[in-house]
Amino acid sequence: MPEAMLLLAVFVAAYVGFAALAMSQDRHWHHVGGGRHCPRRTSLVLRCAGWALLFAALVLALVRDGASFGSLLWATVITVGALCVVATLSWRAHWLRPAARLLQHLG
Amino acid sequence: MEQGFRASMNWLHTWSGVVLGGLLFAIFWMGTLAVFDREIDRWMAPMIRLPAAEKTFSLEMLRPLYEVAAAAKSPTFSVGLPTDRDAAIRVLWREQSGPVHRFVDPGTGAVLPDPGTLGGTRFIFPFHYMLHIRIQNIGYWLVGLAGMAMMALCVSGVIIHRKIFTDFFTFRPDRKPRRLTLDLHNVTGVLGLPFHFLITLSGLVIFWATYFPSSWQVTYNGDRQAFFTDAYGNVIPKRTGEPGGMASFDAMAAEARRLWDGSALRYVFVRNPGDAKSVMQIGRLDEGIVSSTYDAAYFDGPTGALISYRAGTAPVMSAQRFLSGFHFIQFRHWSLRWIYFGLGLAGCVLIATGYLFWLESRRKKHAQLGLRGVRIVEGLTIGSVTGMLIATVGFFVVNRLLPLGASALGQDRAALEVWTFYLVWLASFGHAWARPQRAWMEQCWTLAAMASAAVLLNWITTGDHLLRGLSYRHLWPVAGMDILLLVGAAIAAVAALRLSRLSRIAQVRNA
Repeated sequence: MPEAMLLLAVFVAAYVGFAALAMSQDRHWHHVGGGRHCPRRTSLVLRCAGWALLFAALVLALVRDGASFGSLLWATVITVGALCVVATLSWRAHWLRPAARLLQHLG
Repeated sequence: MEQGFRASMNWLHTWSGVVLGGLLFAIFWMGTLAVFDREIDRWMAPMIRLPAAEKTFSLEMLRPLYEVAAAAKSPTFSVGLPTDRDAAIRVLWREQSGPVHRFVDPGTGAVLPDPGTLGGTRFIFPFHYMLHIRIQNIGYWLVGLAGMAMMALCVSGVIIHRKIFTDFFTFRPDRKPRRLTLDLHNVTGVLGLPFHFLITLSGLVIFWATYFPSSWQVTYNGDRQAFFTDAYGNVIPKRTGEPGGMASFDAMAAEARRLWDGSALRYVFVRNPGDAKSVMQIGRLDEGIVSSTYDAAYFDGPTGALISYRAGTAPVMSAQRFLSGFHFIQFRHWSLRWIYFGLGLAGCVLIATGYLFWLESRRKKHAQLGLRGVRIVEGLTIGSVTGMLIATVGFFVVNRLLPLGASALGQDRAALEVWTFYLVWLASFGHAWARPQRAWMEQCWTLAAMASAAVLLNWITTGDHLLRGLSYRHLWPVAGMDILLLVGAAIAAVAALRLSRLSRIAQVRNA
């Protein structure tokens, strides 16, 4: 069971990480209901969070599967996560709207 | 300069894609299926839908088959032992008439009836790396050429992509077909790049001795066997012609296990069965590491004495073995297996959308100028994409329709299945060129109907319907394949419905 949970965690970290990176771009920030341009500070925060989450996904994958399987799992799962972000932005962009709103309030 | 370089890369990307895309799609598609080759075997050969053997079995049960191989003077006798994915023992030897493949039930020792199919491991998997063209190794070289082209396509694709980071997550399904296909091509290409590049590179590295023969030919004076003996450490005895016995299989297997601290065994392989100089090679099962090691122990056949054994590899080979292992996925990791399957499909989408973009960006111009290029390439695309899928499903359908032992026109059952595959594939090209307006839609309908029929036929001929398949652990591979066939059928049906709606809209507009 912890195996499955860890796998899910790797995926979620990769997915949220890429979602943050996507939202830091003006086009997607606008698309998920932010303003025309993603404010500089928000963009920076999103980028840092995105990279940190991708790194967290790597750590989780290494913890789960060790060096060789872990790195392989990470390299492939992040692609799956990124493709899921693309699908979300294309068909379910409103899922990310609350996050954008929250960031606007904070920023 | 920059513009000129980009333009030439664009030219390279476009034309190597158009010329080799069909071949690449076939290789990617078959490779994606080969991820589940043993599961496909279980679907196509119902006699090996066995529960996993509960107790350890005696290898001595294989001695009668070994005696048959020895009597036939087969050069080798090879036994694939059960794994997590494979419940039956696979035995192979060679007779005057050709190779003989048999499955053995490890629980009872019974030799199972000939399934009469090449299945996933002997049709789909070899198609992936040599296209079943054996003459002069042409199949290997074509796949190698396609592999090199894929690497060039990956690199040139990155160079000609104008906004790689801005468009990193961009897919706009509501845009015009031209933009939509380019988006999809870019997204699957850029996001899948690490996997697609590595899987292609590792695929080429597996066959390095074929593709880059000069290195070992120079060093070993062209003596391939001597080179392989050094690289892989094989013990290859010369046949004496004197008859010789074979010591206890189980004793040698126990000794091999002891050498590797109780590790499980992957295969048993005898050179010169029945000869006074026979050698028994026993391979170690390494499901727990990425690297595809080739640890093996060698025993003198008649006495059963250990000749040599190997654990671990030399540095250069270990890199090659890691890349091979990454490609072969013989390790036990179900999450990665499914991810490989998904990313393999993404590769198929990448290649197909590349074609579609080429077509969409030229369709109007070619129609105005009266050029035939679009029509030719569109037929090529349809045959390579939906035609390949239909041929594959046709292979599954005919497998469930032919009775065991069937033969026609001097071809046995397994050959008939393969003929069906190629004829259906060929027919799909003919159909695509004959009816360019409706071919996509009609082939999608065909695909949907045939994939559903395959699931239905599996139920009728074996009784293993989806619910039954899901409720027994040893039938999960069968249920999994049924589910994927149904999902594929649904996607094909949705695509066909949308295409027919679009063509109706176009008709109304033109009227």
